[in-house]
Amino acid sequence: MQVEKFAYDNRIVKNFAYATMIWGAIGMLAGLWIALQLVFPALNITQYGSFGRLRPLHTNAVIFAFVGNGIFMGVYYSLQRLCKARMFSDILSNIHFWGWQLIIVAAAITLPLGLTQGAEYAELIWPIDLAITIIWVIFGWNMFGTIIKRRERHLYVAIWFYIATFVTVAVLHLVRSGELPYSWLKSYSFYAGVQDALVQWWYGHNAVAFFLTTPYLGLMYYFLPKAANRPVYSYRLSVIHFWSLIFLYIWAGPHHLLYTALPNWAQSLGVVFSFMLIFPSWGGMINGLLTLRGAWDRVRDDVILKFMVVAVTAYGMATFEGPMLSLKSVSAISHYTDWIIAHVHVGALGWNGMLTFGVLYWLMPRIFGTQLYSKKLANNHFWLATLGILFYAIPMYWAGIQQSLMWKQFTENGLLKYTFLETVTYMKPFYAMRSLGGGLYLTGTLLMLYNIYKTVKSGKLIADEPAEAAALQKDVAKHPGEHWHRWIERKPVQMLILSLVVILIGGIIELVPTFMIKSNVPTISSVKPYTPLELQGRDIYVREGCYVCHSQMIRPFRSETERYGEYSKAGEFVYDHPFQWGSKRTGPDLAREGSGNLKKTNGWHFRHFREPSSMSEGSIMPAYPFFLEQGIDTAETGAKIRAMQTLGVPYEKGYDKTANADLMQQATMIADNLKTDSIRIAPNKEVIAIIAYLQRMGTDISKPKTDN
Amino acid sequence: MFKFIKQYAEKMDHAQVYPMISLIIFFLFFLVLLVYVKKMDKTRVTELSNIPLDETDEPTITNL
Repeated sequence: MQVEKFAYDNRIVKNFAYATMIWGAIGMLAGLWIALQLVFPALNITQYGSFGRLRPLHTNAVIFAFVGNGIFMGVYYSLQRLCKARMFSDILSNIHFWGWQLIIVAAAITLPLGLTQGAEYAELIWPIDLAITIIWVIFGWNMFGTIIKRRERHLYVAIWFYIATFVTVAVLHLVRSGELPYSWLKSYSFYAGVQDALVQWWYGHNAVAFFLTTPYLGLMYYFLPKAANRPVYSYRLSVIHFWSLIFLYIWAGPHHLLYTALPNWAQSLGVVFSFMLIFPSWGGMINGLLTLRGAWDRVRDDVILKFMVVAVTAYGMATFEGPMLSLKSVSAISHYTDWIIAHVHVGALGWNGMLTFGVLYWLMPRIFGTQLYSKKLANNHFWLATLGILFYAIPMYWAGIQQSLMWKQFTENGLLKYTFLETVTYMKPFYAMRSLGGGLYLTGTLLMLYNIYKTVKSGKLIADEPAEAAALQKDVAKHPGEHWHRWIERKPVQMLILSLVVILIGGIIELVPTFMIKSNVPTISSVKPYTPLELQGRDIYVREGCYVCHSQMIRPFRSETERYGEYSKAGEFVYDHPFQWGSKRTGPDLAREGSGNLKKTNGWHFRHFREPSSMSEGSIMPAYPFFLEQGIDTAETGAKIRAMQTLGVPYEKGYDKTANADLMQQATMIADNLKTDSIRIAPNKEVIAIIAYLQRMGTDISKPKTDN
Repeated sequence: MFKFIKQYAEKMDHAQVYPMISLIIFFLFFLVLLVYVKKMDKTRVTELSNIPLDETDEPTITNL
């Protein structure tokens, strides 16, 4: 048998590792900053630094920059070794690396500028979406090239997870990025209302599944056995883990939409599959923990194993909690609250963060041919991070549940006991404690940066690590009855196709009926398209990321209909490109802001935007004084109307030409109305448009008439 | 091009069957998976699970 000599590319691993650490610290810093903004609203400095724009920056930085680079670091290290081959192409590796960093930089610039699509974790504008597609294909090309020229016959289970990640993220990204550009930077979602919501949470939940989970499970199945120096507890269990997980995960999205206007059958589907997810998830967690069988004594001394044990435990906690939160009765309490924020941070800080740190401490000394600078610092990092998670999660659990109960509390006379603002005031000390937790976690990360910096200084990068392995023989004797196993386990392309089929089943059964069945979205004849001014106002609402703190979806509970008015109907959202239901109520729901008891005067809104606390004492909403300065971009009105027409919104033919006249007429009316309230403002200012939008909300069905 | 988004098929009833269909699909899929795992050859399973550890070129530097 001929032994071939080759070299592993460690330079690309090093690059991704550096990016992971730097973006990680930046993403966490952004998180800490926005956490503090909820305690001290004065920290909303200028429009570029307001909570609504920075929160997407934090989530995107942590998901795509920190964890994204972490994935690539781990994949580029482990894939080469599992395949006994250098990466397919150094050029592709470098394009992938620099392309991904450019995308992150573009995101970091565009999000504070308010350039967003207004869909959680899919905020990035269409040119960046296009760039992500190209770079993702390059990553896949490089990965498959490596797998095909491998010298190890079998595909280890970690590679299965990488393949499923690649193919599913590609599908998710393509479907979610269905958008119609109307300018070089802006676009509208193809989908509207209920359909947009379903696509969004099918995407959103699977971003958690296939970006934050499956690739990291691949890393767990490689790095945990390496760190423990023993094989995975049960390879069979890992096979079951893999296939059940990818099959079930893809269905779980609708659990983000329980009790909303989403058709009931889709909600039930989401609940059942989310609940079943506990089994493969815990199978995987148990597999991870039992890999340490006979090595538990080492966990006491080995800081890398400590990080990994906490990571796998956090995975277990988050994947126990997830199915529980998906139960309708639990969701009724937890949805829209900080309980969910606590839940995702157990996942992000615990599972992703701790596993990334473990891998970094394991890998960096190895590729630099040296030893870790300080074990003590790493230990301190471990404790800071672990305590940070606790200080973060516990106050948020407590406060989230408490706030939800306060929202639902009635007096003996059957009136709501607390105003929304009272529940916000209650939250402040908990927000402060959460910031402390985040601060501890970030401090730990900074210790790691220093520790790794000193480690790197003490060694020298083994850029091309020499290796040798026998070439793969073409002919292999078949064992009787073994053929169909091998067909999958040795063929990456078959694996890709099968993974694709498995994830498409869920996607198709869930998405297609919602698009096809008319009865799923009963139309309401009184629901009309937005006026041009309201549309402009709505786009400002999207730009400012109002959906980050305000929902537009009233659930059919008495506590909500008392507070916000009639519960929301699917037919009310048919012209909402994109939908803005939101997922969190840091502020109150706005679905009926312009109708019923919630209706306020134009003057109230004007003053509230200028200085929220002047109208609602103790409000933590950022101020929007720039709405009073900036003019409505009427040059875009025509293009917006045309785009909406293409998407099926029934504006009259040729309306794009006359829309601005209508816009000015409505704006002048509002400006005149404000004069009666002693407010003088030119009608072309943004504040007029956003007031028009808010006053429109919920008014369509004051006299409901259902056609269907 | 975008009509499919707005133009719903007029009649496509019995949406309730979808959850049932999906559950049955998963059940069958899981059965096949169990058979697959059960039939895996033991020596091969050992061989597979040792792939990450099976590296001759691994630098053995560690102080942790």
